[in-house]
Amino acid sequence: DSHVQYERVGADVTMKCGSMDWDAAVTWTANGTDIDESHLNGSYLILKNVDLSQSGQYSCYEGSSWHLKYQTYLRVGTPPKEPVLMCRSNNYPKGFYCSWHLPTPTYIPNSFNISVIHGTKDMVCEKDAIPKNRCHIRYLQLFSTVKYKVTLTVTNALGKNFTTLTFDEFAIVKPDPPESVVAKPVPNNPRRLEVSWQNPSSWPDPESFPLKFFLRYRPLILDQWQHVELSDGTSHTITDAYAGKEYIIQVAAKDNDIGTWSDWSVAVHATPWTEEPKHLTTEAQITETTSASTSSFMAPPTTKICDKGAVVGSGAVAVCWTAGLVVAAYSVLFI
Amino acid sequence: SPTGDSWGIFTFLCAALCNLPALPALNCSEELGAGQSIQQTYDLTRYLEHQLRTLAGTYLNYLGPPFNEPDFNPPRLARAERVPSATVDLDLWRGLTDNARLAANYRAYSRLLCYLRVLDGQVGTAELRHRLAHFCASLQGLVLSIGGVMSSLGYPLPAGPAGPPAPPGTPAAPNDFLKKMDDFWLLKELQTWLWRSAKDFNRLKKKVPPAVVTLRLEARGF
Repeated sequence: DSHVQYERVGADVTMKCGSMDWDAAVTWTANGTDIDESHLNGSYLILKNVDLSQSGQYSCYEGSSWHLKYQTYLRVGTPPKEPVLMCRSNNYPKGFYCSWHLPTPTYIPNSFNISVIHGTKDMVCEKDAIPKNRCHIRYLQLFSTVKYKVTLTVTNALGKNFTTLTFDEFAIVKPDPPESVVAKPVPNNPRRLEVSWQNPSSWPDPESFPLKFFLRYRPLILDQWQHVELSDGTSHTITDAYAGKEYIIQVAAKDNDIGTWSDWSVAVHATPWTEEPKHLTTEAQITETTSASTSSFMAPPTTKICDKGAVVGSGAVAVCWTAGLVVAAYSVLFI
Repeated sequence: SPTGDSWGIFTFLCAALCNLPALPALNCSEELGAGQSIQQTYDLTRYLEHQLRTLAGTYLNYLGPPFNEPDFNPPRLARAERVPSATVDLDLWRGLTDNARLAANYRAYSRLLCYLRVLDGQVGTAELRHRLAHFCASLQGLVLSIGGVMSSLGYPLPAGPAGPPAPPGTPAAPNDFLKKMDDFWLLKELQTWLWRSAKDFNRLKKKVPPAVVTLRLEARGF
């Protein structure tokens, strides 16, 4: 008959060949390979200070008949260390989830048991299929003054350990990072970048539980981040970007009133709009290119609109620019 | 008996301190409009929550261990039920009418203010008295602000600023430790109410556009 045997790393293991007498003649094998007689004490197999590499199948055969008398699967491991437990509400006010792991592997199977107590009430934390080592709870009440106490117990064949977390409903609120962060240059604006993003899809009710956002950006060549906090809206225009430099941009989210900031979103890169570089040319070529660009970008109707207005000031310039852009856009369409 | 005397004092103090002249402030909020008042009330709850953090820290240190330990998680005794709790069923909270939502806040803070004022009369250190007095003044402002929003939306104010301070027959704390427990729960509930109010007023903000109130003002010939 065969069974499994669990032993601690560094332990001394004595294996008996089933019901055979101590002085019987036997042969031991480890994973099919004969074991040298020096490890034997009579018919007992002695393994001193076992290590992980000694895990495997051990079999004992009667000397002459080569009958299999005993078989065991040795698994060398450790008792569990104190597990690491984390609980978080990324879907407030629906509920929260807890996830856990062991700081060091035990090399043998472990089972986890989680208990959640709210005041005097026991709550059930439903285990998630994926990922493993995670469970979730739905809030029955909101705005509770009573703390939640979560206890995680790890057990394996060599021992057990546990850890406890106690927290208030509000303390564990931490949204997921914003999604679909997009950064685009703004045409004809060499110092601007338009950033937009979406609420994390796990946040169930942004209407009643609005999020606020934190944007950070820097050119790749610098280490210092610029920060902007935004209390509403899911877009922002950066107006102080260095011309022509590639930027890295990230956004984080937080419930307007409670909890902590999310992790930073996936970083996006963007470079502000730059004018088309002009090639080094001779005097004649310059006049040729300028007259060509004039005909495509400054058609007579545009100048007429500006002249007709006869309004002095930056407002008129803006109108001219806008009109010019519109015409340019249309002319591009017709090319 | 000593318990009877302190109960009597408690009731008297509450009755005396809870006569808030609520009306004079209402005219100001009406002119601003409910939308803006809601925003102001929201801002007030955030300010109070911030203030409370410092006040609670100082007060719990004054009470001493275990009250000032971060993991302190006592069972809620029946006597603590006197203090209005912010805890509510999620669907119920979502379904509250604007009137019910505002009234719940108004009643809760009126009573919490009352309890805090009693506390103010009893604490030992000058620093604590100063902080408590300042906080009570701000909290009174919040009650008035909520009252203002209710009036500008045409809702009647809940009966009496405080109502009965506690169900008659509930004894005052028979010993020092239980008295400290009362104080602990009062601060806890206050903190939770301020977090809840932020959410309550967020919902109200979305549902009451300023335009609604300007129409009403015009109808009155302003």
